Amino acid sequence: MKKIIAMLMALVMVLAVVACTSAPAASGNNEPAPAQQSGTEAVANTYEIAMVTDVGALMDKSFNQGTWEGCENYAKAHNITYKYYQPANGSEATDDDRYDAMKAAVEGGAKVIVTPGFLQGTALEKAAKEFTDVKFIFIDGWSMGLDNVSGIAYKEEQSGYLAGYAAVMEGYTKLGFCGGGGGTNPACCRYGYGFVQGAQAAAAEKGVNVEVKYTWQYGASFSASPELQTMVNGWYEQGTEIVFSAGGSIFNSITAAAAANDAKVIGVDVDQSFESDTVVTSALKGLTASVEWALAKVYDGSFAEIAGANSANLGAENDAVGLPTETWSLENWSVADYEALLGKIKNGELTVDNAILEDNAIASVSFANVTVQYV
Amino acid sequence: MSFLIRETLVYAIPLMIVALAGVFAERSGIINLALEGIMIFGAFIGALFIYEMQMHDMVALEKGAANWGTMQLFVLLTMLVAGICGLIFSMLLAFAAINLRADQTIGGTALNLLAPAVVLFFIRIIANQNDLRMYKGDAASWFMIKKSYFGLKDVSNFFVDTFLNKIYITTYVCILLFIILSIILYKTKFGLRLRSCGENPQAADSLGINVVKMRYTGVAISGFLAGMGGFVYALTTSNCVANGDVAGFGFLALAVMIFGNWKPLNIAGAALLFGLFKCTAASYSTLDIDGNGQYLLLKLSTDPVWGKILNANFYRLLPYLVSLLVLAFTSKKSRAPKAEGIPYDKGKR
Repeated sequence: MKKIIAMLMALVMVLAVVACTSAPAASGNNEPAPAQQSGTEAVANTYEIAMVTDVGALMDKSFNQGTWEGCENYAKAHNITYKYYQPANGSEATDDDRYDAMKAAVEGGAKVIVTPGFLQGTALEKAAKEFTDVKFIFIDGWSMGLDNVSGIAYKEEQSGYLAGYAAVMEGYTKLGFCGGGGGTNPACCRYGYGFVQGAQAAAAEKGVNVEVKYTWQYGASFSASPELQTMVNGWYEQGTEIVFSAGGSIFNSITAAAAANDAKVIGVDVDQSFESDTVVTSALKGLTASVEWALAKVYDGSFAEIAGANSANLGAENDAVGLPTETWSLENWSVADYEALLGKIKNGELTVDNAILEDNAIASVSFANVTVQYV
Repeated sequence: MSFLIRETLVYAIPLMIVALAGVFAERSGIINLALEGIMIFGAFIGALFIYEMQMHDMVALEKGAANWGTMQLFVLLTMLVAGICGLIFSMLLAFAAINLRADQTIGGTALNLLAPAVVLFFIRIIANQNDLRMYKGDAASWFMIKKSYFGLKDVSNFFVDTFLNKIYITTYVCILLFIILSIILYKTKFGLRLRSCGENPQAADSLGINVVKMRYTGVAISGFLAGMGGFVYALTTSNCVANGDVAGFGFLALAVMIFGNWKPLNIAGAALLFGLFKCTAASYSTLDIDGNGQYLLLKLSTDPVWGKILNANFYRLLPYLVSLLVLAFTSKKSRAPKAEGIPYDKGKR
């Protein structure tokens, strides 16, 4: 009995130790590889364009990766040195960890820092006030009234709308939505609400009834988990045909479940059809293009146009949201139909409600043709 | 029902096989706290092996030709490789505990700290980020067994849906290994000798049994099973991604081992119980237990009265709550191997 208690105590201790230390020691001062990739004459070991990653992996095949590719493209094309910094403690990074990463970037010679993810707000504000001659591009963010910060927000509700519309027009009537950020991330909330609105519009047009299972469970840290896989497996098993995965690496769990059930997935942020055969379309956010666009503004001296109070909110009219037409795989809804709908959004004929419905707020909205089952 | 059984097995199988790994070490007298570390290492080796294999034309061709049987061979091979690497890794513990007579708890803890660090170090070199994914595609479309492979696409009965559909071959291999090893532990001369080294090594030694050899063997089997279990975990529950983490399954397996009183049959039961509740927690909203199209648990969780208690959080609490309850009632009878954790000293009687 004593032994068992001793062992359990040891277990608890070990667990505690592991919890404290197993977090990846991924701070700013490693990553030789991307620096080498830049292929420029990085003699003094300084990197002008820096990116501080959001939670989740850099190559998450989604949000971080899209931003990173924007930095990479611009830097390569203009022969500028670039590097990424991952805040310590991975998905559990604190504001201090993020601030430290930004500081490391500045010390590493950064002139412009790209920070994707609204979670970085607090750290960014502190860093931007301290390092006033460094320019910050805050993807999914706001400017906080600082002249060296450009907040770039997207109208995710529009691309969510297009994805929901496309899914129902394609003939799916049992949809699912899995969001990241635990129901408080504004971008994910807009994606989700837009998705349901799109489904509603298409369902009304076709005169069918659509069911949407809607959840924030297990997605809070934007990472894959066995539980999420089991839950979505259950959805597919009970007839759900297609699930919109709006949350970085949770995509892994959802495609695993979809592949097991020969079902379908809608990707997010970037065209994810290359990652899995289960992806039929993706709700795009022009991350790569808009990072390049913003970096160009930095380097041609017109940063003030998008900084501070002039921060950008990019939508269909800027070609910053949409669905990928190069990898179109829908059969019952053509690219031409899609472009007609996109045109309506562009010219303002159709507006998508951009309310941020946190947590279970969606359950109290009523839709004529869509039954939302909040899980 | 088939869904519930299948998903329960997904959680239960890694727990079961890794708990058996713990049994082999402890029955030989070595406390193997390093199960978590070895699993992490095995998961990494397995994911890496799959990653490398996918790059080869031969594997891609077999996949292209939809030779699902050959794909199963690749899985078996990966299990073997992950197991062997787990065995090698566990030798660090064996050396510290047997030759150096170090404190076994500390040795195990050291391996638990070492494994994620080493694994992340290599993952960052290989993939330049914090996790190592498959080279292409997903685990289910490459390696999962589906009923259409047997030409039973339109057949739908309990047996086919449960045991021949949407399942990995690892499940059956682990069950088979579990049975064989349990028999070896209890019904063979070798098993008896191994167990005696965990109870009274001095007596065993006096009868001519090489205690050091037996303990090395115990840890080696333990390392093999834990390494393999790590890969099984990565394949079946996380799409073959290695990220220096197995969600605490190594520690859960230790708990299952204690829960199961160091006996294989009890361990299997404990793992299944735990897996069942884990699975229920994750999928309660779509569980159609009696097959009448009603989701009882979902109904309860949205009920104005019952929902206050029986909601998602309660279901997630259940596996741990049940374990605690069962332990509270059975721990009196629980009995660890007597000599475990004590370095063998010939002079001591």
